[in-house]
Amino acid sequence: MIAVRRIRPLGLLALAVLLAAGVLGCANAGNGAAGSFSSRTPNTLTVATAQVPDPGFWQGTIAHPSGGFEWELAKRLASHFGLAKVKVVEVPFQALVHGHLGGADLALSDITITEPREQYLDFSTPYLKAPPAIVVRPGTEVADVDAARHLRWAVQNETTLKEALEKQIEPTTKTLVFEHQSEKLEALRDGRVDAVLLDLPVALAYARESPSKYAVAAQLPSEAELGAALPSGSDNTEAVDSALRALQSEGEIDRLAHRWLHADYEEGGAEGVPVLRTEE
Amino acid sequence: MTLALVELSTPKGAPWEFLVVFAVLLLGPVLFRRFGVSGIIGLLVGGYVIGPHGLSLIGAGNDTLPDLGQLGLLYLMFVAGVEIDLNLLRKYRRSAVSFGVLTFVLPFALGMLVGFALGWEALAAILLGSLLASHTLISYPAIKDAGLASDPAVATAVGSTVLTDTLALVVLAVVAGSAGGHRTTPDIAAQIVVGMGALALYSLLVLPILAGWAFRWFGTERSVRYVVAITAFLSAATVAELFGIEGIVGAFFAGLGMNRLVPNEGELMDRIEFFGGAVFIPVFLVSVGLILNPSVMVRGETLGLAGLFIVACLGGKALAATISARLFHFSRSQAGLLFSLSAAQAAATLAATVIGFQLGLFSSAVVNAVLVLILVSVLASTLVGTRASEHVALPKGPRPLGTRIVVGIGDPELALGALTLARRVARADGGVVHPLLVVPESAPFSPKPALARLAEIVATADVDGQLMTIVDRSVLHGALRVGRAHEATLVLVAEPIAERDGAEPATATAAAGAREEDDSAVPPVAVVRGNATRLGAVRMRLDDDELEPHSIAGEMARRVSSGGAQRLDDDHGDWAQLLAPGDVTFVSSELGETLAKLPNAADGLLVSTVADWLIREESAGDVPELPGDARAV
Repeated sequence: MIAVRRIRPLGLLALAVLLAAGVLGCANAGNGAAGSFSSRTPNTLTVATAQVPDPGFWQGTIAHPSGGFEWELAKRLASHFGLAKVKVVEVPFQALVHGHLGGADLALSDITITEPREQYLDFSTPYLKAPPAIVVRPGTEVADVDAARHLRWAVQNETTLKEALEKQIEPTTKTLVFEHQSEKLEALRDGRVDAVLLDLPVALAYARESPSKYAVAAQLPSEAELGAALPSGSDNTEAVDSALRALQSEGEIDRLAHRWLHADYEEGGAEGVPVLRTEE
Repeated sequence: MTLALVELSTPKGAPWEFLVVFAVLLLGPVLFRRFGVSGIIGLLVGGYVIGPHGLSLIGAGNDTLPDLGQLGLLYLMFVAGVEIDLNLLRKYRRSAVSFGVLTFVLPFALGMLVGFALGWEALAAILLGSLLASHTLISYPAIKDAGLASDPAVATAVGSTVLTDTLALVVLAVVAGSAGGHRTTPDIAAQIVVGMGALALYSLLVLPILAGWAFRWFGTERSVRYVVAITAFLSAATVAELFGIEGIVGAFFAGLGMNRLVPNEGELMDRIEFFGGAVFIPVFLVSVGLILNPSVMVRGETLGLAGLFIVACLGGKALAATISARLFHFSRSQAGLLFSLSAAQAAATLAATVIGFQLGLFSSAVVNAVLVLILVSVLASTLVGTRASEHVALPKGPRPLGTRIVVGIGDPELALGALTLARRVARADGGVVHPLLVVPESAPFSPKPALARLAEIVATADVDGQLMTIVDRSVLHGALRVGRAHEATLVLVAEPIAERDGAEPATATAAAGAREEDDSAVPPVAVVRGNATRLGAVRMRLDDDELEPHSIAGEMARRVSSGGAQRLDDDHGDWAQLLAPGDVTFVSSELGETLAKLPNAADGLLVSTVADWLIREESAGDVPELPGDARAV
């Protein structure tokens, strides 16, 4: 006679949970608790950026990046997703903020998270505070917003900095508008303009690299933050968010900021750079 | 924005953000309670409405609300630790530990099973198991209001909370310590063991001593006592983080360590609950609501996860309740109470989920699924608790002697001994001491100086109850009136008590006998003489019936003596010579002695119980019907 053992309630419950979890697990195959990342190219994280080199953020060339905050961040993200390689593609900033990532999985390019840009892109959780900073030639002083208003300004088109200049500073003279960051910096160097706006970490990196050419005079009050940009509707956003939170909780992002940007951005800006009080 | 001659700015900045948050604190719970839904859900939904996924009044880059929410989270865990009734755990330790283990292990195992079956990494699966295994006593206030607080099943579930929450937080500490690190397993284990050991040492041994010292030295101001409590849990959270353990574990341990210093009915607890309930904890819940995203919540993946979490959590909890009820011969309705009290997921679950999210172990889909679980578990807990309460008989029997003590005081300078004794008796039962200044009817009506002096002495004695005043004909009579009005379990009278016309001093009467089962109408009374802030040896010079373990003197002696009380027989004539500072001697009036005839007790405390017949006579007089007069002078 075969002895039939009585099934215990716990056994039944465990079986039910296991079956249900199995079905759900199959339906969401590979979707871990922190979200799953699926790269466009096998075993490779493809990252788009607007400009290499970009002091503090990208060093070397597009083909051979050698350092910088966002390059190292890209490598950490790839490692987090178990991808062996990182490939970098160069895409103009205006194209990036309109959702054209040049076939990349994501973009790391000092992109400020804004609502208008969210029409074209999905943004990750922010990884760096980036208030606008006023960059001048050494010796130029900007005591207050009124003094800033009377300077001659250059700004890059399609950037949050252009909006900040128009709303927070409201220059009294006509602003020169350029398509590329390098052009407005050139205008500052050759004296066509007195000041430009850059994201604070970028501004500090330029000033550190070329102290004879650039000085950071002040920063503007802002909650602007940089984030990774992904194609709109991307299934990878959850995974990138979780990875960035993990890197933040491990202190890795702070370490990278300290290593490449030489500043502690925890509290929203580099200490020692005065904040201009504006009405906006 | 220009409106005629007036120029208006767009609202922004800190005042606007705080206004938005406080509007949610005000309206969220009120609106949801109208529809019979827990206020917690109102706060979570309110957080969503103002957050980046809703109206975006609080943007994604805002730090103020998340930082305040972080403080609220620590506060929440501190309150969870400090309000746990350790006496219930001690009294029902066998059933509480058994149920605690079952109600932790079963949902924990099922939660891990879900995680592994979904292909999650081990740390995420373990964290899921632990967050399903903890519980929050959401339905306890309603069950307590139904008069079932001392029901064995309720006491078992409440006692088990210490175990489940501690285990859940230990698992969280291990997971958080292991997440993202590149260290070896032995390194992580050593870090956790050393860290938890240091935290336990600090929170359970050092912190109570420091806090007790601070209460005595700075404690005359109530706001300072509150700040001491806040500082205490923040310091424990900092110690935890020094060792790489999440701050909430430190805050919870600080609550356990401070448990005896902060009685549940005391003034400080009242303040902690008031500010916690009004601001800190709701702000935390609103900050969690910022993560809530309906577009994620209604996704098939999220709802599927929520379904699994619900089955694993509530299934495990129901099974634990059923098994425990059989083991301890609880009725079906009592099993319902066990389930109701252990099923609700809120504090520790939210805490672990938020930390899992911050560590990058959980996606927002998991967080939103847990929020669905919280909603369902709170509803299930409330429904089952309400139904089960209707079918459980009210427990009989007296409350523990130290539950609520009223100390009648005529002269503040003579109150220290009675207050110290009362504190020790109350602390043993997790109770509270209410000092009462009795102003004689014949005296000029100016109690303020005496009250101010009494407040200082109350702080020195480290007593945390409500300081009250009454005008009455005698200290004993006044203390009895207030004792009855407040349903005191014991009334102590600091000598001297006023004498009634033509009557002997009350302490000259016969001592009370063994405590009856149902003498709740008139609380037992004892008179205390002497001043002391620390208690030393305990001796009993009592007649035989007072030496019974259940006599008032016997019960008090058991609570104040750590190594047992020494009996003094009649021929021990020189017993008064034994009195050393802080020594307590229970004396029997029936031996023909009165406190007046006994030696000066400046070196120790003399305690004499008061006869039942005198208590009845005193209280049968003109006791007013309204108890409120006890508070008003």
